[in-house]
Amino acid sequence: MASRIIVVTSGKGGVGKTTTTANLAVALASMGNRVVAIDGDIGLRNLDVIMGLENRIVYTLIDALEGICRLNQTLIRDKRIENLYMIPTAQSKTKDAVTSEQMKGICEDLRNDFDYILVDSPAGIEAGFRNAAAGADEALVVTTPEVSAVRDGDRIIGLLESMDKSPIRLIVNRIRPQMVKKGDMLSVSDVLDVLAIDLIGMVPDDESVVTSSNKGEPLTLSTDSPASRAFKNIASRIAGNDVPFQDLDGLDSNGKGFLGKIKRAFFGRC
Amino acid sequence: MIKLKGMYDSMVRCIISEELEAGDFSKEFSDIREKSQQFLPGAKVVLDFGGRGLSEEIVCRILSEFVWPSMIHVAAWITYDAASQDMLKRSGLPTSEPMPDTRVVEKGNMGALLLHRSLRSGQRVDHYGDVIIAGHVNDGAEVLSAGHVIVLGRLCGLVHAGCEGDENTSVVARSMEAMQVRIGSRIGSLDRGAIWWGKMVIVKVSEGSVLIDYWPVIK
Ligand SMILES: Nc1ncnc2c1ncn2[C@@H]1O[C@H](COP(=O)(O)OP(=O)(O)OP(=O)(O)O)[C@@H](O)[C@H]1O
Ligand SMILES: [Mg+2]
Repeated sequence: MASRIIVVTSGKGGVGKTTTTANLAVALASMGNRVVAIDGDIGLRNLDVIMGLENRIVYTLIDALEGICRLNQTLIRDKRIENLYMIPTAQSKTKDAVTSEQMKGICEDLRNDFDYILVDSPAGIEAGFRNAAAGADEALVVTTPEVSAVRDGDRIIGLLESMDKSPIRLIVNRIRPQMVKKGDMLSVSDVLDVLAIDLIGMVPDDESVVTSSNKGEPLTLSTDSPASRAFKNIASRIAGNDVPFQDLDGLDSNGKGFLGKIKRAFFGRC
Repeated sequence: MIKLKGMYDSMVRCIISEELEAGDFSKEFSDIREKSQQFLPGAKVVLDFGGRGLSEEIVCRILSEFVWPSMIHVAAWITYDAASQDMLKRSGLPTSEPMPDTRVVEKGNMGALLLHRSLRSGQRVDHYGDVIIAGHVNDGAEVLSAGHVIVLGRLCGLVHAGCEGDENTSVVARSMEAMQVRIGSRIGSLDRGAIWWGKMVIVKVSEGSVLIDYWPVIK
């Protein structure tokens, strides 16, 4: 199988990129793939914490770039699952510590050894995001169903399109069906109307996400919670399987939902 | 892919597809130079990058690998990415559609720009004539037009019609979802509860104030 490099991005911060990266890495590895998750959020290290690997860090991505160690010395093997690795970043450096060219080089070097290379990225449109995304073939855009997150997501999608990432697919995170039903939260359908890219998954707001990140045990390792199932479904769709979407909004019974929409051809170029 | 298309006044439009990887620029531009070497020297060329964002480095490469060696005269650098437009303007490079200079045209009547796409947040169209968007104008996107603006999709972003001062211009939107519309030097505002919200409307200036109405007019 040809190896795939996927960057996990968002316009707004705190919408769940790192959570998504960790859970998808675990889920893809559990499916038998060789996976590495790279912390591309330089200076704000936290993928290692969410994956529960922070006490195993010896070298970081930056050490490899500065020639202090070889790239394969930065790889931390996750003992809980076969074929799962992560590359941590440095907490002490700023986002300018890596260039786009260096990031491309690292991703290319990893291609031979892995089926999936997932890159967690910093929020926003600044150099840090561009560098993290530089080496990726495809992109996942994470948003929550909030107006400001969606608008910032739109901005990121425009940039990813102009960087030739393809496919660019959407994850709507932290959905609260009760609020959507009452009309207090945007529905997935509303979000899709604006962003007009393919949906790859919806993740409910789920308390077990918080407890699992505090424990450093991504949900997809063991728990069978709603968010865990959602992440596993996304991983399976990434791998090319046709997994039906759940009706998370609870809106499809009255015909207002997104299920019809994801099949419909979108208006306009996007 | 890079394509050349004839325009008016023997101007040539060089369309650089958004799907083309920046890494392939050198090769594609040298192919075009080779294929078109009879007519490129001296030709007026509009470089059209669509929604692609341009970095300083890419602009330098295009100048040194295409513009200078092929002896063309660049009439405009067109991109819908607002940050790139600002960078080009700062560098003194023209970013608006050139006007035909053999025809006498009035302000705001420079020929329409028809765009078959949606504009995303951070993208901007700046045209010295009418603009028709066959797509949505998303929240955070901008359309500046010296003439009229027609949005065939949802209008959620900022539209400024008659931005050179012509207040006889109008804005038509299939679904009006923007809190503000500018015409000439005037600003009209709207809130989400307004009866026009989400409806098909026309916005105009009448006796000095910005007016909004259903379109077509329902009697
Ligand atoms: N589906 C969910 N349900 C409940 N809480 C969630 C969910 N997804 C993420 N969170 C919580 O939201 C917070 C932010 O998540 P995360 O760190 O993954 O976001 P991020 O996009 O990586 O943020 P940053 O932009 O700062 O890097 C965390 O506390 C996480 O536990
Ligand atoms: Mg993060």
